[in-house]
Amino acid sequence: MPTRDSLQLTGGMLQMGARVLLVPGFIIAIAIMLKGYADIGDGFSAGVIAALVVIVQGLAFGAEELERIAVARLAPLLGFIGLGLAYALAFVPVLFGYPILTHFPRMNEHAEHFGPLEFITPVLFDVAVFLVVYGFCVGAMMAVSRAEVRHQRLIRRARQRAGSRGGDAV
Amino acid sequence: MIALPLGILMFGALGSALLDGTRRRNGWLAAVILLAAIIATTWLGWDVYHHGTREMAVGGWDQGVGITLRVDMVGIIFAVLCQVVLLGSLIYEVVSDVGARIFPSLVLFLAVGLTGLTFTGDAFNFYVFFEISMMASYILVNYGETPRQFRAAFVFITVNLLGSVLFLIGIAGIYHTTGFLDMVRIREQMPLVQENPAILTATIIFVAFCVKLGLFPFHFWLPTVYTGTRPAVAAMLSGALANIGTYGLIRFGIDIFPRELEAASMVLIVLGSASIVYGGVQALSRHAPAEVLAYSAIGQVGYIMIALAFAGPAGLAAVILYSVLNSINKAVLFLSISLRGWVATTALAIGAFSVAGIPPVGGFFGKFVMFDLAVQNESLVLVALIFIGSLLSIVYMFQMYRRRIATPELEEDVIDGWGVQAVSLVLALSLVGIGIYPEPMLNLIQVAAESVPKGFTP
Repeated sequence: MPTRDSLQLTGGMLQMGARVLLVPGFIIAIAIMLKGYADIGDGFSAGVIAALVVIVQGLAFGAEELERIAVARLAPLLGFIGLGLAYALAFVPVLFGYPILTHFPRMNEHAEHFGPLEFITPVLFDVAVFLVVYGFCVGAMMAVSRAEVRHQRLIRRARQRAGSRGGDAV
Repeated sequence: MIALPLGILMFGALGSALLDGTRRRNGWLAAVILLAAIIATTWLGWDVYHHGTREMAVGGWDQGVGITLRVDMVGIIFAVLCQVVLLGSLIYEVVSDVGARIFPSLVLFLAVGLTGLTFTGDAFNFYVFFEISMMASYILVNYGETPRQFRAAFVFITVNLLGSVLFLIGIAGIYHTTGFLDMVRIREQMPLVQENPAILTATIIFVAFCVKLGLFPFHFWLPTVYTGTRPAVAAMLSGALANIGTYGLIRFGIDIFPRELEAASMVLIVLGSASIVYGGVQALSRHAPAEVLAYSAIGQVGYIMIALAFAGPAGLAAVILYSVLNSINKAVLFLSISLRGWVATTALAIGAFSVAGIPPVGGFFGKFVMFDLAVQNESLVLVALIFIGSLLSIVYMFQMYRRRIATPELEEDVIDGWGVQAVSLVLALSLVGIGIYPEPMLNLIQVAAESVPKGFTP
């Protein structure tokens, strides 16, 4: 049976770990997304990692903490932007007579570089996937935690009302 | 042309997410977008009907290298079916006041997922669209946000995530054994794959789809979810989302794993029979109408499974016809179950008649093709089973109807209004239409059944 002290210690360690991991987690996620063009890695896995480090904040500090972190609060908006970007990349080529999801520059055409990073539309598409995955995971967790908080609040109020009615009767 | 219905739905869903869905005008806008997608899909269906399967390689890559969108008549029928059920459910909710601003957008995202998976010719892309529809439905199940819906959502998400993981493992298995994700290439390569890995992969995929379909013994989540959600959401889940299971079994079973399907035909018949009897007996013993419908849904998918076991042209036609009728039946019943008034009662009666297979309602043809299939295959046991199943469905539907009429106050949240009643009646009248003049539907289904390559004839 864990004691109150041991639970406090675990909670403290979790909170410290969560805070320490927040920024490096995002850096690793971005690195994985960019690495996808030379090695294994892509926007999907980067989005999952970024979402995980944010969700851990909620686990360690409570649902209210997520509302305070800007990147968590803005998750649905980021997901929305990602989806819009992905749709634009998929359908804009159709307007110019190309098949859906045609990427530019085309094969064997020159692409501009910034260090190892290539300026090609697949990079943008991966950024879009990253935003969608991150936005959905964090947004869904926040929606669930909000519903749970609301539910708990209702139960507490119902109990208080029942208690006060019992008190009146006495 | 293939991209048009998807484009309408994708941009429509995205734009709709910006608007406040609780305003009736925005709900109607989402309904118009869905209607436009239905028209575009029907137009594409006209083209496919006259010129055969349509293909488009995404990104301009060569066939087999990039993702291929491939549309045949089976895909068109399932896409239109899902869209129509979603449209009916969306209008029902709009007329009876939407309670969440994101609801119309989620319905459109669900339509994106369902339309996409019927349009794709790539196994992994199928999984992606499958997940898009599941993500939308995870949130939709929680619509209403009462503790009951929250509980239903938790069960639904947990079980269906398990199903999704199984499906993903199955896709990885296909890629590992064949080296392809394009369904045509996989079909060509599959006969060369050793028997054991192929059976293992086929079994994993079969279980994943049966979880979605709610077939016995993978049904345990279904009654909690169908009875816990709002009527419109239950109609979407049973009338549209459950089609992923049937369509997936056609695509992956008949199209990709015909050898394994043939080997497992007896298992399918046993599971289908168990589902019919279990669902029927459980529905008979339940009092709440929503519970009766939930168990009825488990029983009805048993027929689909038996038809799938006879996966020749007649069997495939039976699978498609039964799926179409079952989807509309369930949508009508779930939508009219919480309504008062003679219009809704008429819709409920039509839906109940259709499930029981009583003419002149469309459900009669579903039962008829099942009988015909059993007789053609000279299986007296199946004839008896289908007879018993039909008898059970007549009794439980009659019981449910009687209870619903006699004690309408049994329902906690009765919905009032002519608009909602009209929606359920229009869907119900489509069942009468199919029953009175079935030839166009049967002709379409015949063409669809002939368009799917079949690896074996039983």
